[in-house]
Amino acid sequence: MEPEPIDEFERELHQAMERRPAPPSLKRRVMQQRATRRTERLHSHTVLWQRLAASLVLAGVLGGTYAWQQKEERRKGEEARRQVMTALRITSQALDEMNSRLAAHDQDKHQQE
Amino acid sequence: MAHDWQPDFEQLVDEHQSMVFSLAWRMTGDRGLAEEVAQDVFLELDRNMNRIESPQHACFWLRRVAMSRSADALRRRKVRGIDLWVEIEENHASQPEERISPLDARIEQLLTTLPEQQRAALILRYQEDLTPEEIAAALDSPLATIKSNLQRGLKLLRAKATCHLKEYIRGT
Repeated sequence: MEPEPIDEFERELHQAMERRPAPPSLKRRVMQQRATRRTERLHSHTVLWQRLAASLVLAGVLGGTYAWQQKEERRKGEEARRQVMTALRITSQALDEMNSRLAAHDQDKHQQE
Repeated sequence: MAHDWQPDFEQLVDEHQSMVFSLAWRMTGDRGLAEEVAQDVFLELDRNMNRIESPQHACFWLRRVAMSRSADALRRRKVRGIDLWVEIEENHASQPEERISPLDARIEQLLTTLPEQQRAALILRYQEDLTPEEIAAALDSPLATIKSNLQRGLKLLRAKATCHLKEYIRGT
């Protein structure tokens, strides 16, 4: 397909619209911003991992504390149970002894009659 | 998607900064704003380097994003073309590498007074030598719309030029 013929005005338009050179500061600013952004991204990744590690340590400490508390309460509960059983045993022994003395007393009384 | 071409960011900046800056300047009519837009475009390129598949794709991508960001900047700043262009000429006319003819300067000035869509189509046509189909792809716009914008934009620019630059115009 042949290109359409252009008139003088369009030729002048082409000439007027030639690309302009970019200012020297443009590339310098682009490269500086790019380097800054990369540094910031690296820093934010580092901070993120540090925070994650700190959160894991804190979770570990809290979990460990809770587990120790649970164990301690179980231990205390066991101790209390042992004390109650001991008290019951003592009471039972005392009752048995009392019954024996009463039985012995009743027997003596019958013999005297 | 695997591809053999490994883009070098700094090389792409060197190769395309003139194009990106010129697109932004002609769209916004503001040199300072154009530099900001161009900077944003290249920083966005840096974020999307893994998506660039070839040198041609890089060029297409940069054009597309430059036009889009320029339009966004225009909406934010609501730049008035003629007044700002006069200010720019006063402040930057001394740049030796940018010294252009009065006719060219005037045509660029008139360009900024066109409606945004027509201006965009003309810039891509006459600065980048794109076909209407390529312009439609770059602006993500229907081909019929682009052809209409080119036709109307050129007609309007010619009329403005005829009115303002009688001594220069020799067209039909």
